[in-house]
Amino acid sequence: MGSILNIGARALVANELALQTAGNNIANVNTPGYSRQSVILQAVPGQFSANGYFGKGVEVATVQRAHSEYLTNQAIISGSVSAADSKRLDQLKQLEDIFQGGSTGLGAAVSDMLNSFSDIVGAPSDLTARSVVLTRADEMAARFRDSSTRMDDLRLGVRNALQDAVIAVNTLAGRIAVTNQEVARAFGTGQSPNDLLDQRDHLITELNKYVQTTSIEATDGTLGIFVGGSQPLVLGKVATPLSISSDEFGDPAKSKLVMQRGTATNVIEEATLGGGSITGLLRFQNSDLIDAKNLLGRMTLAIGTTINDQHKLGLDLSGAPGGDLFRVNALPDGLASDTNTGAATIQVAIQTTPTSGATTMAASNYIINFTGAGVGNITRESDGQITAFAASPIAVDGLSISITGAAAAGDRFLVTPFSDASSTFSTTFSTPRALAIANPVSASAGATNQGTLALDSLVARSVPAPAAITISFTAPGTYTRSDTGATTYTYTPGQAIEYDLLSPGSSGWTLKLKGSALAGDTYTVQPNAFPRLSAGNAEAMMALRDVPMFDGATLTDGYASAMSEIGVRVQSAGFAADVSQSIATNMEKERTSVSGVNLDEEAAKLIQFQQSYQASAKMMQIAQGLFETLSQVLG
Amino acid sequence: MRLGFANTYDNALQNLYLRQSDLSSQQEKLTSGKNVNRPSDDPTASAVAERALTRISRVDTEQRALGVQRNAITMAESTLADATGLIQDIRDLVVNSGNGGFNATSRATIASQMRGLRDQLFSVANRTDTNGIPLFGGLGSSANPFTDSVAGITFNGTPGQRSSTEVALPSAMDGQAIWMNVPSGNGTFQASLPGTNTGLLSTDAGQVTSPAALTGHSYSVNFTVAAGVTTYDVVDTTTSATIASGQPYVTNQAIAFDGMSFVAHGAPANGDSVQLTPSTASNVFKVIDDAITSIDSSPGGPQLSQAIALALSQVDTSMDRIQSARGQAGDWLNRADKISSTQTGRSIQLEAEKSKAEDLDMVKGISDFSKIQTGYQAALQSYAQVQKLSLFNFIS
Repeated sequence: MGSILNIGARALVANELALQTAGNNIANVNTPGYSRQSVILQAVPGQFSANGYFGKGVEVATVQRAHSEYLTNQAIISGSVSAADSKRLDQLKQLEDIFQGGSTGLGAAVSDMLNSFSDIVGAPSDLTARSVVLTRADEMAARFRDSSTRMDDLRLGVRNALQDAVIAVNTLAGRIAVTNQEVARAFGTGQSPNDLLDQRDHLITELNKYVQTTSIEATDGTLGIFVGGSQPLVLGKVATPLSISSDEFGDPAKSKLVMQRGTATNVIEEATLGGGSITGLLRFQNSDLIDAKNLLGRMTLAIGTTINDQHKLGLDLSGAPGGDLFRVNALPDGLASDTNTGAATIQVAIQTTPTSGATTMAASNYIINFTGAGVGNITRESDGQITAFAASPIAVDGLSISITGAAAAGDRFLVTPFSDASSTFSTTFSTPRALAIANPVSASAGATNQGTLALDSLVARSVPAPAAITISFTAPGTYTRSDTGATTYTYTPGQAIEYDLLSPGSSGWTLKLKGSALAGDTYTVQPNAFPRLSAGNAEAMMALRDVPMFDGATLTDGYASAMSEIGVRVQSAGFAADVSQSIATNMEKERTSVSGVNLDEEAAKLIQFQQSYQASAKMMQIAQGLFETLSQVLG
Repeated sequence: MRLGFANTYDNALQNLYLRQSDLSSQQEKLTSGKNVNRPSDDPTASAVAERALTRISRVDTEQRALGVQRNAITMAESTLADATGLIQDIRDLVVNSGNGGFNATSRATIASQMRGLRDQLFSVANRTDTNGIPLFGGLGSSANPFTDSVAGITFNGTPGQRSSTEVALPSAMDGQAIWMNVPSGNGTFQASLPGTNTGLLSTDAGQVTSPAALTGHSYSVNFTVAAGVTTYDVVDTTTSATIASGQPYVTNQAIAFDGMSFVAHGAPANGDSVQLTPSTASNVFKVIDDAITSIDSSPGGPQLSQAIALALSQVDTSMDRIQSARGQAGDWLNRADKISSTQTGRSIQLEAEKSKAEDLDMVKGISDFSKIQTGYQAALQSYAQVQKLSLFNFIS
């Protein structure tokens, strides 16, 4: 009878505990990181008797959390990758806003500016038309500046976000270390500290939203947390803080994640980071934003330089040669690596001879690697193409990079030609009279010309123009030039007649005639005697619209290419974010299918254990009844 | 499979967000009318649209410039028409001046009338377009391409003609070729009478009969009257060679040699001659000035006839120059119409291209919208229904 009571009492306790656990599950249904718990019941070993073993009831072995190591890890990692992708996408969308198309975009400003020269062609001395051109030029420069400022703002925002994220990572790492300590202590009791473990898993999940980690469990129940594959962020009870630092070149546009352990600074390479919003931010800042800035910077430099070069070939309203129309910054010097031992410095400029390099630039940074004092190679970062050099200046992609001083083997430099091209881009003057619209040369037909020669175009290549040169046709297809005597040249209608272009730096012009010539016809190219009503340089400005300068795209089409390049990036980042988001959602669903609380299940358990509890109570009643029966018999 | 209760709520909510954002982005497309609102919606299409926009604004610019050029050429054409009228008036006066009944005073009146017309013609040549650019400046000139001085008219410009291009016309015509390029005489040679002639001989302007036989030399045709018979000799004064001698002279009959011929009228006196010299360069104004001078100062007689014949020939050449320039201007204006219609066609095509790339197909857009809307509605309803289901509702 005593054992019946005992069994009943045990069953009451066990079922009450089971009900309590179910209640706890229900209570924590919405607690983030909570794993469903269940009591593990076990039969108390039976007592031996001659009639066999008699069970002694039930007892609670332990409270277990429903947990799958594998699913939890997968959910954490996929969540981390999704955080990286969506962070990068957010930033890229902001960047995309800067590269808007349509009539309010940068491309329209460039094309409007060059188109406005058309009104000057109709009225060269009209100050209104000239003012319109200047206003358009100013507006274009302002849009470039504005885009540049917005990108700088974006960079500042990213930098702040990185700092905040690193602080959050360090706080979380600290809390994990503390939890580790508590877990280790609790492990001594022999029971699993479910809620502590849940809390630690939750902290790790949170940590992975910032940076992806891997964890290895130690025998004492503590977890070692590693960043970038092998850098220990938390080891047992010790957390090592991360920080943000610049790269070896001190490039202000780039950031790196570093870990300071004692005196050693370990750089955590971006490629090994995996996931987390820090990774997304770094990837955006170190590649997307730099590429976008280079695209914009190259446009600024190429357009500014080309227009300036053309403007200087014209004469203004007072007959003086034109100056710069746009203020174009000098290109920044190369940044030296902090490991350099040589004394070399690097200066960068746009190539000017034999032809201007403004039309052949690539939107990229470059890394110079010295293998000796003046030899080495230069790597274009955008596509990794390596060019060897053995002398200064290095000519690459329209740039002229000169080395001053002696470099040591192993020295490295970072060249960022376009990093700051747009921030101070502006027009240099505001008086419309100073616009150099007139052509410094003019061509005149001979008074007795019989053929149908007509002037297609005449473009000056120098100011002041060279002395008069007469082209005399000796036959419909041949001509002589007054500066080269009897040498005959071949004339093809519509093809350029070049004067002196081949010797660099010298004066010259390019003349295009149309129509057919007869023997005796002449054309004389001389300094323009009537600059006031000439708009030849405005026409040359408009011709710049078709000059290929952005990887083959013309000046006015360059923006469309840049815009779609950014668009492609955003689009593919969007796809990546969608995919990783859906993987993360699925993994989380998998994980919660094991660890999450299902209310229906708990309701069923409530009923189940309630009935068991009632049955156990009934058993006690029966035991009492038995006792009473017995005492009545005896009484 | 068991479901985590909190997770199902999270997921359902997530899906509702997603549908909501689909709905809102579709709404954005509908309200903006564009399928591509930012480059990432469709990078290729947005680049196509951007390039089309650049081309459209360029075509607009070119059309606007063409308007200015067409205006200038239209003005040049009508200016040349005015010039034709003035020269025609001058020609009529030259013809009138040959009236046998006129005396020196009448001729002086005619000459003064001609001076007035000539001054008008000069101002016509200096006309400018609405922007103040000379219509006949050639390849560039000062604000007034023609200046009048005692020495005559000079052209202060760069001779030559701009060619028209696929999208543009020249906006000025070659003043040198139109106004300043009239050869004297008939274009090849000029027949003149020395002041020492005493007979009634005069000639017409002459003509070229065989261009291949021309020598470019000067000639003198010397008449001899002996015993009532008039004969003439032809002497090449450049080489001093006598080409023909003792030819019988018949009035109103052509005298021809070395590819040239002219008709002499009237009876020459013994020793009279006709001088033939190669044409020299002259211009529309000088031709008229010469005519005015000779009519004004002429005492009449054969010298006047000769002057009138020469003047008429030269005025006609001037007229030809101006007419042919007018023809050229007319050609350009035709061309302007063609360019304009081609450009309009291009512009429409570019607009279509741009629209195809970035505009929303409204029918599809609206249909998509209602599809998304229905989906969202269904999601909301199912969410509301499912969350009512719980075993707890059945436990009492």
